[in-house]
Amino acid sequence: MAPTAIIDVQGFPLALDRRYQADTHMWVQLAGPGQARIGMDPLGIETSGTLAQLSFLAAGTELAAGRPFGQLEAAKFVGPLVSPVSGTVLAVNDAVVADPGLAERDPYGAGWLVEVSLSDADGDLAALLGDADEITRWFAARLAGYRLTGVIAQ
Amino acid sequence: MGDVLRVIDFGPVSPLRSQTLWHAAAYGVSEGEPPTLSFTRPSAPYVCLGYHRSLAEVDQEYCHREGLPIYRRMVGGGPVYLDDGQLFFQICLPARAAPALRQEALRMLLEPAVAAFQAVGVPAALDADLEICDGDRKICGHGAGQIEDAVVVCGNLIQRFDHERATRVLALPDPGLRAETLRLMRRYVAATPADPQEFQAAMISAYATALGLRVAPGQLTGAERAGLTDLDAQFSSVQWLAGPEQPPARTPARTVKVRAGVWTVGAASGDARIVVSVVRGTVDRAWLRAAGLNGMTQAAESALAGVPVAAVPDVLARFGDPGRQLAAAFAGADGTRL
Repeated sequence: MAPTAIIDVQGFPLALDRRYQADTHMWVQLAGPGQARIGMDPLGIETSGTLAQLSFLAAGTELAAGRPFGQLEAAKFVGPLVSPVSGTVLAVNDAVVADPGLAERDPYGAGWLVEVSLSDADGDLAALLGDADEITRWFAARLAGYRLTGVIAQ
Repeated sequence: MGDVLRVIDFGPVSPLRSQTLWHAAAYGVSEGEPPTLSFTRPSAPYVCLGYHRSLAEVDQEYCHREGLPIYRRMVGGGPVYLDDGQLFFQICLPARAAPALRQEALRMLLEPAVAAFQAVGVPAALDADLEICDGDRKICGHGAGQIEDAVVVCGNLIQRFDHERATRVLALPDPGLRAETLRLMRRYVAATPADPQEFQAAMISAYATALGLRVAPGQLTGAERAGLTDLDAQFSSVQWLAGPEQPPARTPARTVKVRAGVWTVGAASGDARIVVSVVRGTVDRAWLRAAGLNGMTQAAESALAGVPVAAVPDVLARFGDPGRQLAAAFAGADGTRL
């Protein structure tokens, strides 16, 4: 993987070397021809509460954009992790399953969630935020909204 | 989401059905049935595990011996003991009608329950950890989750609580850990002997008002009934009970969450054993055993009381090699989560 380009947005790190699904805060980073890593950005993690448990579809399972590829439990609430892309699960990050705090401590690195083989790379990636300026504006606006509503402390 | 709050009182039902009935309703709400408030009371005691939790956290041998079934639910939280002294409620909405942020959804769907407790004379409050409490005691065990396109939050009115059995069903490797867990369970989990009919009426009124919906007593639909049969089979299967695949436990330490911010921890390293209770990040009590600690045991236990969890290794290190061995055992617990 290329070195991560991370900027600070009002106290939250934002990696600009990947794409984002705006509603779910999932990032997608190409990891090879037709392959990608999926993770969750720090705002998605912060607004989930302290991560207690993570579970994912097993390697070899097909996944669809907009459908769950796993479950996240925080504050005794089990909810779906929604996939930003379609394809097949290649690998699950066992380290983050064993220690969900890894996603909180290193959301863009060791805290990745799953690796996938993309079935419609062009279509799926085009639907994600990919331009650095666009990503920065979106992230800052989401953060401001969360702070305005008290979801994230000022 | 329409203007109706479907209310279903399932009444006393078997342990299995006390889970599968409301799961069937949740699938129904996901498919377009109206928001639903349901009530169940298990007719016999059993144990229920949160979706992600390990079956190894439950003393399966004890449960088998006592005839206590074990089921896994689709929502979160830990392993819990349920019996007919508890009236369970479930509020279920289409996911699009609940806030996308889970903490907001939880708050929105627990606040009416708090109002219902207050309406029957219980001075309940929703604390910063989103637990329903009377003072510093938890009075309602809740769990939540998204089932397909429905969000469901479950909780209970604890009319009577068997603290001893609630602790006994847990797999705890150390009698000291069991005793300390029971002590904290008694201290921080309380029953509220409210009238269940009054509470139920207050719940219906509170949720209808909060959601702006008209109450409509109802039942499961035919489709939901058909789904119930499948859920009965799923929840009775060994595969479902085993839970989602998880890597081996990261640490040898055993931690029990008694309520938010209240934990017990048991760990061992060689012949060193440590049991610690933690309240709001600070050691409440400690119980230590290590060769060579000899006459210093009580002093070491006293030195730990009132100490922040992060400082435990440093305090133990003052007691030489035995202290360092105990610190190594304690390092098996993820102190940042306590």
